[in-house]
Amino acid sequence: MGIRRGIAVTLVVALAVLTGCRNDAPQTQEGASGVKFDVGVTKEPCPAAVDQTKGCIYLGSISDLTEGPFKALGVPITASQKAFWQRVNSAGGIGGFEVDVTKFVKDNKYNPQIHNEVYAEIKPDVLGLTQTLGSPTTTAILGDLKSSGVIGVPASWTSAWAFEDVILESGTNYCFESMNSVDFGAETLQAKSVAAVHFPGDYGDDAAAGTKVAAAANGMTFTDIPTAPGQENQGAAIQKLIAAKPDLVILSTGPTEAATIVGGAAQNGFKGQFIGSSPTWNPALLKSPAAPALTALYRQSGPWAPYGTDTAGHKALAAALDPATFKAAPNDGYTAGWVWSYPLKAALQKAVDAKDLTRAGLLAAVKSLETVDYEGMLPAAAGRFGGEPNDRVFRQSLISKVNPAAPTGVAVEKDFFTGKTASGYEFSKPCYQ
Amino acid sequence: MSEFLATIVRGLGSGSIYALLALGFVIVYKSMRVISFAQPAFMMAGSLLVGYLVLSMNFFLAVLLALLLTALLGAGVERLALRPMIGKPVFVLAIVTLGVDIVIRTVVNSFIGLDIRQMGDPWGLQQVDVLGVQVDQRHLATLLTTLIVVAALFAFYRWSRTGLAMRAASSDQEVALAQGISVARVFSLSWALAAALAGLAGVFLATGIGLEQNLWLTALKALPVIILGGLDSLGGAVLAGLAIGVVEAVVGSYGATLHPIFGGDFFLVVPYLLMLLVLLVRPYGLFGTREVERI
Repeated sequence: MGIRRGIAVTLVVALAVLTGCRNDAPQTQEGASGVKFDVGVTKEPCPAAVDQTKGCIYLGSISDLTEGPFKALGVPITASQKAFWQRVNSAGGIGGFEVDVTKFVKDNKYNPQIHNEVYAEIKPDVLGLTQTLGSPTTTAILGDLKSSGVIGVPASWTSAWAFEDVILESGTNYCFESMNSVDFGAETLQAKSVAAVHFPGDYGDDAAAGTKVAAAANGMTFTDIPTAPGQENQGAAIQKLIAAKPDLVILSTGPTEAATIVGGAAQNGFKGQFIGSSPTWNPALLKSPAAPALTALYRQSGPWAPYGTDTAGHKALAAALDPATFKAAPNDGYTAGWVWSYPLKAALQKAVDAKDLTRAGLLAAVKSLETVDYEGMLPAAAGRFGGEPNDRVFRQSLISKVNPAAPTGVAVEKDFFTGKTASGYEFSKPCYQ
Repeated sequence: MSEFLATIVRGLGSGSIYALLALGFVIVYKSMRVISFAQPAFMMAGSLLVGYLVLSMNFFLAVLLALLLTALLGAGVERLALRPMIGKPVFVLAIVTLGVDIVIRTVVNSFIGLDIRQMGDPWGLQQVDVLGVQVDQRHLATLLTTLIVVAALFAFYRWSRTGLAMRAASSDQEVALAQGISVARVFSLSWALAAALAGLAGVFLATGIGLEQNLWLTALKALPVIILGGLDSLGGAVLAGLAIGVVEAVVGSYGATLHPIFGGDFFLVVPYLLMLLVLLVRPYGLFGTREVERI
């Protein structure tokens, strides 16, 4: 018994020592091409390598994949990013490396605690994160991303990301998007009053803050209507809208909440126009009883054009996806996942060109990006990541209108524009803070 | 005034859904002394079945068939997962129901998919004029159906032989057994009834915009309802469900006019505040049976 106990204790101590010795900053190595690297990069090929002679860059992906509220976005984003990097690998990879985004995919269930746990699990094995879905979830790991110099591509558009070096966001944020929507409403729809119906938190509050700023800039009356998630919880918001009778409503909720509000308000004779932030739309809503109201009263604002738009990037996306999969559940999550990948590709290429694919090298590459080739899905100027947030933040957004014939049920009505409010806004801190 | 009345009807509509869910909890509790956490799963299963069946048949027929299938699912769960555990502490049985809930919801979610599944109901978001008040047809339909179902349920318990057997078994299982009542059959029937009621609640909840995976969270609102009404009181479940629905709607619409702190999503915590208040004054709920224990 004594010997057994001794062996057990020795094993536990050895395990503890080994675990303690393991850290996520291994010795810097150098590949055949002279590129130095440390965490998440190997000389060995990727598990599904196109070219077995190339090394592998491992990128992690933490998304809402099974039971969280944004899985309808998380699943297509993840699938789209897999297709994006497969295309990159097929085209020769990044220097002497290919990129793997399939080995370290984790489900956060849109829970910050789980997000933190799975991040800690994959962190020692990945160079960066090709996806970190959600604002509160990403905030949960932000401190570690910063202290470890890990680059993360957010699947969210809160204005706080512009103030973080390690966050590689694309397109404008909810705040500027809402400002542009209000300016559009004032100029095109002749709106004199506006209401923001929004979830609490850095999604809805960010959009509401932008709406409020633009309402003041346009001399419009503003009504703030916070609401809770859940289609059965929208009765009060509808009643408040009907009482306030704004000409324009900026929505920042989930899709079912948006449809309940638009449909419910229309049934009560509400005549105002709605512009919803990009997460408010799901083409499946066109099969719901709210479809006529959505077609008549709803527009979607967005950081880029929807699936099926005529750009090289959109065409490449369509070519890379399995048509049957897309047709089964058409969703602009595919578009988002694809667009978000371009700056990371540009940064990886720049790091390889500089012969430094360490985490520090990748961070330096990100900060030196002045433009990114989004293949027409976003202007190249949207890919500026160095300098002050106020100078580099991308302020352009689009407005789309419901079109049942379009692949995801919406088609561009007004192409990229910056309203006068967003143009003149001094962006010194996240809008909702 | 009409706006206030519309709020009340909306609250009664939501409250009817809570009442249907709470009735299921109470029926299972009365028969087995267990709180069944599988109710959300039955709620989702019922509405999912309607979502599929309605593609090939009339909505009302689809609802009837779906509720029958959900009842069979409930009885099956009782026979396979709960019956073998009889005699174990009720805490263990409650945990088993939690596991059942997760398993069934996982299967149901895979069928719902990522999108929103339509119920094909005849009400949609349409409204109807009732004495000058515009109310959602689906809220009215929910309320009327709940009233009919509750009346039928009470009649069943009061006058049918099986209902009498269920009441007897709930009162004292050993005495009921001695009188020739099949307690096992009572268990099965209780689970079948509870599952069907949850399924019906799910159907009404998903009318309007449709069924999505997160809808199950609403079933949790039945928990403060059963505490408020009393764990073993069918009447209490109905009254507390309707009361919580109305209070929620009124606070949601007018809370901010009293004080900003009562605005926003404060209405979501109101059921739990009410529950706490009642627990302080009446630990067995408003209509629950006060238990006498030898100490």
